[in-house]
Amino acid sequence: MRDKIEEALKRSKADYTEIRIEDKETNRVAFRGQDLETANANIDKGGMIRCLIRNKGWGVVTFNDLDDLNAMVDQAYQCARVGTVPDPIDLTPAEPVESVTTAMLGRDFRDVPLSEKKALAEHYNQILLGHNDRIVDTQSIYSDIFTHLILANSEGTYIEQDKPSVVIGAFATARDGDNVQQADEVFSSTRGYEHVLDKDEMVRKAAVRAVELLGASSVQAGQYPVIIDQMLAGVFIHEAFGHLSEADFVYENPKAREMMTLGRCFGKSILNVYDDGSIPNVRGTTLYDDEGTPARRNWLIKDGMLVGRLHSRQTAAKMGEAATGNARAVNYRFAPIVRMTNTAIDNGTATFEDMIKDIKLGIYACDAYGGETQLENFSFSSGYAYMIRDGRIAEMVKDVILAGNLFTTLGNIDLIGNDFKWLNTGGGCGKAGQFPLPVGMCAPHIRIQNVIIGGQ
Amino acid sequence: MDILTILKKQAEQVEVFSLESEKTTVEYEANQLKTCTVTSTKGTAARVIHKGRLGFSASTDRMAMDKLAANVLDSAAYGDQTSFSFSDPIPAVPVKTYDKTIAELPIDRLVEIGKEILDLILPVDPSVRCNLSLARGLVSTNIRNQKGLSVSFQTSPLTLSIKLDRMEDNDVLIRYEQFGTMVWEKDYLAFARRLAEQLKLARKLTTIKPGRMPVLFSPAGAQALILPLGEALNGKEVYRGTSPIKNKVGEKLFDNKITLVDDGTMDGCYGSASYDDEGVPHRRNVLIEKGVLKGFVYDLKTAAQAGVESTGNAVRSLFTQPDVSFGNVILQPGLTPLKDIIASIEEGILVESLLGLGMGNIISGAFSNPLDLAFKIEKGEIVGRVKDLSIAGNVYDLLKDVAAVSQEAQWNYNFFYTPYVCAPYVLIPEMNVAGKS
Repeated sequence: MRDKIEEALKRSKADYTEIRIEDKETNRVAFRGQDLETANANIDKGGMIRCLIRNKGWGVVTFNDLDDLNAMVDQAYQCARVGTVPDPIDLTPAEPVESVTTAMLGRDFRDVPLSEKKALAEHYNQILLGHNDRIVDTQSIYSDIFTHLILANSEGTYIEQDKPSVVIGAFATARDGDNVQQADEVFSSTRGYEHVLDKDEMVRKAAVRAVELLGASSVQAGQYPVIIDQMLAGVFIHEAFGHLSEADFVYENPKAREMMTLGRCFGKSILNVYDDGSIPNVRGTTLYDDEGTPARRNWLIKDGMLVGRLHSRQTAAKMGEAATGNARAVNYRFAPIVRMTNTAIDNGTATFEDMIKDIKLGIYACDAYGGETQLENFSFSSGYAYMIRDGRIAEMVKDVILAGNLFTTLGNIDLIGNDFKWLNTGGGCGKAGQFPLPVGMCAPHIRIQNVIIGGQ
Repeated sequence: MDILTILKKQAEQVEVFSLESEKTTVEYEANQLKTCTVTSTKGTAARVIHKGRLGFSASTDRMAMDKLAANVLDSAAYGDQTSFSFSDPIPAVPVKTYDKTIAELPIDRLVEIGKEILDLILPVDPSVRCNLSLARGLVSTNIRNQKGLSVSFQTSPLTLSIKLDRMEDNDVLIRYEQFGTMVWEKDYLAFARRLAEQLKLARKLTTIKPGRMPVLFSPAGAQALILPLGEALNGKEVYRGTSPIKNKVGEKLFDNKITLVDDGTMDGCYGSASYDDEGVPHRRNVLIEKGVLKGFVYDLKTAAQAGVESTGNAVRSLFTQPDVSFGNVILQPGLTPLKDIIASIEEGILVESLLGLGMGNIISGAFSNPLDLAFKIEKGEIVGRVKDLSIAGNVYDLLKDVAAVSQEAQWNYNFFYTPYVCAPYVLIPEMNVAGKS
């Protein structure tokens, strides 16, 4: 394959050419209620070729038929000729990389028979179903993906790397009359099969919580001091802030550039945020991004001040900054765009007790159901929450939706916990039709003053 | 050897789904033509039922058909007991979903359409930055099974989408609109003209006192009302017991003005095709008629579980098993002209879009969302854009009493959960609008 790729690269008339070949095998087992929905294996193999003609534009082709890479390079070149950019597109200079690595797994999940994976998902499903007779629906999912990636470009880079991922998910729906509540727990690993075993306690939590939520009343809308847990804080920093630090958001937009001027104060001096694709065994880790730039730690906020952003080679060149290792593609059907890897609020010093003790009336919001942001406006739905009364966690409440303005909210973070840990969340991030890209996110507990909570 | 022939020897029932597609996309970034992409996909998915157990596998590696066959049989060996059978060959009414004009649209023409869109938007406001994606495709689907079913259909989707933002010192406006069709539509710029109108209208900012007031949902905004119904009408949710309306067929649940139809047989519409993705003919399914619940939508498997016929609502991608979804969803237009509805409102809001739609516990019918784009209606006129508001309610309560449904209806393609919805303007007489007073 390497010879074919290098030959095709040599033929290209473009200023820059990149070939990515992906070979992916997936296994998935899904139970819903008593029924097994699927237990199957899929094979997905294909390639992407991207050509740049500096004073015209990009041409991209994606394909399943890998026989004639030369023809695909020609087609990508023809596509690149369509563009009419007013200013030439540059890529920030990069040293060619040559690297061939293979994944080191404990028990390689590719060697585990489908029957064993099915038995595992069934076991977890039984825990959900057996918890309580008000559990009316469940989902128990086992999924593994092993991707072998080849990336080569016309500057001499040649990289082979593996991307293993194994995920289990437990979803429970409880019902009491018209009252229907859901809860979930997900765990992922980039290592061996053994890491998704013995998760009975975690799975049970989903069922327990769904039943508990039946008894929760809806939160009273208003403004509250809020403590958010590691999961929700991680989702918040990824969704509400992280996407704004992706340079493709600002590099062609003078107003956005102004909004994200380095040096601008974003929060109190306790606030530190980074993105880091080089941490071993975290979900968004990628040794080299999909342009071949090595991963590294990129500080985004330091001591409350905006100090950096995430780049591809194109956005870095345009803004006169360095490439950061954040050009990523969800699969071979797409060209890479600027994406996060593992995004985190750095550890602080406050204990949970410090955060809660002086709150007379507030909310402790945990887990994220989902969220949407539009520039500085965000809306997040927490999975479950509790009222805080007189410095203590009180009754459980539901339908807690946090909405607000990013800058105001970051400024209102007044305490950062000392309990940082990377979470093995299983989800993925979506952007420009590319979903689900594995990303990591984390934070310690954080406390925010004056959060607007929606509700009836 | 053909994979259907191979598998027929080893399983009682076999279904082979083949997909071949090519899509050409021209993209403008920040008003500049920057990227041209050709995406081609070719793959095969197989389902078998062996000893009453269902198996599935898919592959895009045409050199690995043996492995595909082995994978699908392996999958059936551990699969669940199932009682349904693949579709009998049933003739379908032809639905027009292929148009040579689209399939052979030159790249230059896509480039030109992009310029036409920019010429509509930029004169309204030269500071707006548009990202355009203009794509034409050709998708060929073939479904065969052991019963002799062999259906092929081609679609030629044309998708034009605009994402724009206007950023000013104290105001940000982001809009996303999309137009999609399977047959050439002469007025393909109508959606861009509407967006230009919205841009003009959104120039003027005003305020409104939060509280209980009439809320008029635009066809795009009405998605907030239709989304929960889409989940509740899904035969799978009914079978699972999670649909809040599972036992209520024949009951009057909503206002007389509410009629909701699923129809995959409309010529040229984006969710149309002669057959669904299991080879069952598409049909028109009336789900809610004048407020009365009439039925649910099913694919073959969920229909067998419920003891009914498939309603032709199987939807799948190459790598997933068929699932229950909709063709085109239509909330029927009503009798009142839009201008009369607006004229009837003393003080209220017009909701164009909500933030975070579809998150949370959708199926319960409850929603609570910040408003992304909304306008104030005062003394029967739209007077300006209002910000920092949110609305909350439950569609099962709200749709019991609907003040008016407009004659005018529009397709909304910018939908992420239930695709391709046609809706009118819907006036809810009173609901809670929250915000800083």
